[in-house]
Amino acid sequence: MASVTLTNVTKRFDEVVAVDNVNLEIKDKEFLVLVGPSGCGKSTTLRMVAGLEEITSGNIEIGKRIVNDVPPKDRDIAMVFQNYALYPHMDVYNNMAFGLKLRKFPKDEIDRRVKEAAQILEIEQLLDRRPKQLSGGQRQRVALGRAIVREPKVFLMDEPLSNLDAKLRVQMRTEISKLHDKLQTTVIYVTHDQTEAMTMGDRIVVLRDGVIQQVADPLNLYNQPNNMFVAGFIGTPPMNFLDATLVEDGGKYFLDGAGSFKIAIPEDLAKKTPELKEYLGRGVVFGVRPEDLSDASLAEKEVTEYNSFMAGVEVVEPMGSEIYLYLTLDDHSMIARVEPNSTAKVGDNVKLRVETEKIHVFDAETEEIIF
Amino acid sequence: MPLTLKDIAKIAGVAESTVSRAINNKPGVGAQTREKIMEIVREHNYQPNQLAQGLAKRETHLLALIVADLTGPGYSEIIKSMEKTANQAGYQLIICNTDNNLAKEKTYLNLVGQHRVDGAIILGGTLANNNIMKLALNQDELLVLVNCLAEEVLIPTVLVDNARGGYLATVHLLEQGLEKIALVMGPANDFLESEKLNGYQQALADYNIPFREQLIIKTNLSREGGYNAFFRVMKIDELPDGFFVTNDLLAIGLTEAIKMGGYLIPGDFAVVGYGDSIISAVINPALTVVAEPLQQLGRLAAEYIIKLINDQAIEEVIRVLEPELIIRESSSP
Ligand SMILES: Nc1ncnc2c1ncn2[C@@H]1O[C@H](COP(=O)(O)OP(=O)(O)OP(=O)(O)O)[C@@H](O)[C@H]1O
Ligand SMILES: [Mg+2]
Repeated sequence: MASVTLTNVTKRFDEVVAVDNVNLEIKDKEFLVLVGPSGCGKSTTLRMVAGLEEITSGNIEIGKRIVNDVPPKDRDIAMVFQNYALYPHMDVYNNMAFGLKLRKFPKDEIDRRVKEAAQILEIEQLLDRRPKQLSGGQRQRVALGRAIVREPKVFLMDEPLSNLDAKLRVQMRTEISKLHDKLQTTVIYVTHDQTEAMTMGDRIVVLRDGVIQQVADPLNLYNQPNNMFVAGFIGTPPMNFLDATLVEDGGKYFLDGAGSFKIAIPEDLAKKTPELKEYLGRGVVFGVRPEDLSDASLAEKEVTEYNSFMAGVEVVEPMGSEIYLYLTLDDHSMIARVEPNSTAKVGDNVKLRVETEKIHVFDAETEEIIF
Repeated sequence: MPLTLKDIAKIAGVAESTVSRAINNKPGVGAQTREKIMEIVREHNYQPNQLAQGLAKRETHLLALIVADLTGPGYSEIIKSMEKTANQAGYQLIICNTDNNLAKEKTYLNLVGQHRVDGAIILGGTLANNNIMKLALNQDELLVLVNCLAEEVLIPTVLVDNARGGYLATVHLLEQGLEKIALVMGPANDFLESEKLNGYQQALADYNIPFREQLIIKTNLSREGGYNAFFRVMKIDELPDGFFVTNDLLAIGLTEAIKMGGYLIPGDFAVVGYGDSIISAVINPALTVVAEPLQQLGRLAAEYIIKLINDQAIEEVIRVLEPELIIRESSSP
């Protein structure tokens, strides 16, 4: 068990800055997820913690110890990747034990650790089976077992589930979360899948081009994204963005979409954001999540000129408990998640109600959030 | 104006280096991203800069064989077969002896990272260390392990099932009607030795013969160790009727001791050795042994790395070979 601290950590590969001045404090026993698009530096960050990549500058501490120059084997970490080797001629016991055997651990100690890991993973009854006789999920557990028997202070997992089919992946997410509860060990988990990040992480780090965009728990990340990148990356379908101008009318603020919409900003939101004033008359980006748009014809709450707009329906995708409407408004495409009893058809012009309490406004230039 | 890497990166919304890695089929790019990039490349009929591509695809037709300990059992035979296969396919094999020195190993592994060889075969060492793992994560198409296991990552591997060898030897003795089989082996914390012990135990279990701890003689892997093992065995209450010896040198010492004691092989004691070296064939009487498929091991390793270099699929990423029993005079009455 240990905390992990990254201070001003940078990694350069020749001309590429893979990780750019990262500062991060991972608490003891925390489940921290690194998420971001391909090439944003997730694996590189993890490998630097593991000691598999040297850091170009900065410090990494595990526990209270600076490990910059500590070789991987002495860092008390264990890594889990998507591809692992299960040896077909060894039973499950030996597939978990061989690393300890090769490091010449005493027999009793190996036995204790393997049995304990098997118990935690609920695969005790499989110990004398060969890999061929295991299901995909059971194999994955053996691979986890191999990491567990090393009794590391920190688990480093790099997309361990990305080889599994969708159903098994969802199941293994839960298994890994449960495992973390049982082991009470620090986990750093890398994924490019925001759903995985949101369902597993105590806290989530969103990376882009090697730079941390935000560190927050799932709820805050969703409700208070720092910028348009985070807002667009977290949540499926992603947040809709519309260009607008901030205008004032009778002491109230409005998002003006050049004739296609005029949305009133709730007064409490405006009051909480005094800097809004500076944006008056300037271009901003209006952000609204698909679930905060609804079919106005079915709305129970009040529909006004200033909390609704019209959009053309391009595609109707029934999802069972809801319907996704793919819409166009001027040149923008957007998505609304509406009630299953909506009768909107392709080619219709539908009125959509905006849950204005949930909207966001971003600086069009910096893409940073205003509120 | 022709499209540049930069343009493609912009269209795909990824880093330029990611585009380069995708185009050159390097790892570190997710499948979806790769597909997206390749689609853009096709759509815009992008021709990679010839120089850039030439650099990435530069071929040396050299293979590095990285060995921790050149004196390993059967290594000369493995290496000869490896070299023959490589030569036939137009590759040269460079032998890199690391003497178990990690710094030396790192230097040799760098040959792969710097594309100064097309690929590397790691022979022995038993557990892939972090240098190897790091390379496998970055350049996973260019490494093959031989008789070496990897904990975290999947690297194409060819290895021999040593437990199976122990099993075959023991079953052969049991089939001769023997029941009290002594196992003369190296230190139990040596992984390969413990594998052979596992095979021995499995054979006894399959034949319903109780396992007796006192018949397990652990010693150092030397001629002297084998010699002394016999006299240790002679002190136990119930003498064995057969021996399974896990190593050449042990076998020489043991047979010497048996003969010194005035006993006959196989009349008084049957003996089965491990490893088909010249030694085992010239011992008198000629020794029955478990033989590892050394030539096959060398050939497959070379075939594997050449396939990887040429982007051909390998059917079994982990190939486990079985040893075979060569029956000579020392084991059958
Ligand atoms: N060994 C290397 N040499 C050169 N550049 C590298 C190397 N490894 C990674 N990079 C580059 O560093 C950047 C970050 O790569 P990294 O593998 O950390 O991304 P990632 O977030 O894990 O992406 P993915 O989701 O595709 O796995 C990328 O631009 C990548 O091309
Ligand atoms: Mg990665």
